[in-house]
Amino acid sequence: MTTTRFHAPERLDEAIRLLAADDEARPLAGGQTLVAMLNADLLSPSQIISLHRIAALKGIEKRSDGSVRIGAMTTHAGLARSDVLRDGHRLLAQAAGRIGHEAIRNRGTIGGAVAHGDPSADYPPALVALDAVIEAVGPKGKREIPASDFFQGFLTTALGQGEIVAAIILPPSLNQARTHYEKFARVEGDFATVSVAVALWRGGVRIALGGVGPVPVRSAEAEAELQAGQLSDAAINDAGALLVAASDPLDDVRGSADYRRRLIPRLVKRAIRAAQAKDAR
Amino acid sequence: MSERVAVEFKVNGATHRVSVPATRTLMAVLRDDLGLTGTKNGCEQGVCGSCTVLVDGAPARACLALAATLPGVEIVTVEGLAQGDTLSPVQQAFLDAGAIQCGFCMPGMIIQATALLTENKRPSDDDIRHSISGNLCRCSGYAKVIEAISLAASRLAP
Ligand SMILES: Cc1cc2nc3c(=O)[nH]c(=O)nc-3n(C[C@H](O)[C@H](O)[C@H](O)COP(=O)(O)OP(=O)(O)OC[C@H]3O[C@@H](n4cnc5c(N)ncnc54)[C@H](O)[C@@H]3O)c2cc1C
Repeated sequence: MTTTRFHAPERLDEAIRLLAADDEARPLAGGQTLVAMLNADLLSPSQIISLHRIAALKGIEKRSDGSVRIGAMTTHAGLARSDVLRDGHRLLAQAAGRIGHEAIRNRGTIGGAVAHGDPSADYPPALVALDAVIEAVGPKGKREIPASDFFQGFLTTALGQGEIVAAIILPPSLNQARTHYEKFARVEGDFATVSVAVALWRGGVRIALGGVGPVPVRSAEAEAELQAGQLSDAAINDAGALLVAASDPLDDVRGSADYRRRLIPRLVKRAIRAAQAKDAR
Repeated sequence: MSERVAVEFKVNGATHRVSVPATRTLMAVLRDDLGLTGTKNGCEQGVCGSCTVLVDGAPARACLALAATLPGVEIVTVEGLAQGDTLSPVQQAFLDAGAIQCGFCMPGMIIQATALLTENKRPSDDDIRHSISGNLCRCSGYAKVIEAISLAASRLAP
């Protein structure tokens, strides 16, 4: 029987040192996934490295270039009510507010959710649509990974051994966009069957889908079609079909693959129309 | 087996110092170490809501919080709501509205409703449904629960 040791370092470099030295050690953020896995006997880490005391992982800050840096330990509830996220960046607050239930949002964090890499989770499509960057820190220092490269497969991310998510950075550009997050779930608080994150701006369109593939799904053709067709009903129908073709959904308890394919065009249309209805900038 | 960690926190106003294994949840500490069995053990996955308690005033799942990460916090469980023999307004309203069937989900529901009414003095039915969406009642007695929370709100309203 193994003994699980517990550390709650105050310094980020200390947490990284502990994690890098032991590949059976696990970082703990809000515990809303990790503790559920411990309870189900799916994991027995040698050490739990709790990140809750590390000041460098906290806070949401607007920087002078207009980008927003969100510390990894920011809770879903904290993001949902943050007034630092404005205009186009509200997409992320909207997604945060749709995660689980109030009690889950009060403790679960963006860093933990992003590191877990669940393709049905709400942040991955929202971050891809916002062209966000994941700031990762590890034994070799800091690197910035675009969200579209970060999510690599089912529960698989670009993080290396001993590396943790330190922050999420939203670039300033898409703050000018009109955005919307549309989530379709069986019941309130469930993971998405299909979700759609949309950003529309003068120069383009970005759409990312959740729940319909191992990573958030985009289609360059669909985005070009929408742009060229000026978001007409016909262009949206064509884009919907292109996104269905780009998707790779599974049959699971939240819906069959076929059901998900039928949802995509409808939700894409709903999301685009809802984004358009927001104030133009 | 786990290494033990010493933590001190308040539960229903009383300070407790416990020595817990690293992986011990707040739910296990409340129920098994402190004997506060009002907090129910349902799914251990955060889904059912029956272990909901207040941590520094905010609803949290006791089954998904490791006790070792909670030094210095204030916890309120269902046992902490009544003042002596006088039930809290939310508890009394649940009784008066006949909202309690088997009772298993009630501690979590009542804690969640208490948190809602602290934030929102005049919740609509929709606000109430949204708030308790993470508290499952297997007797499916939601209609009476919603009535009870509305009743508590009307009694608490100035
Ligand atoms: C009932 C319920 C409903 C839910 N519904 C939804 C939903 O609708 N949508 C949704 O998106 N999610 C949902 N979730 C998941 C929720 O968003 C979790 O909060 C999130 O997945 C994990 O965040 P956490 O802070 O709790 O991380 P933890 O559980 O502490 O950690 C999760 C994983 O990430 C690792 N980790 C944690 N922090 C870091 C870091 N900074 N860097 C590197 N690795 C790290 C941990 O080692 C672990 O492997 C739900 C969870 C529950 C229990």
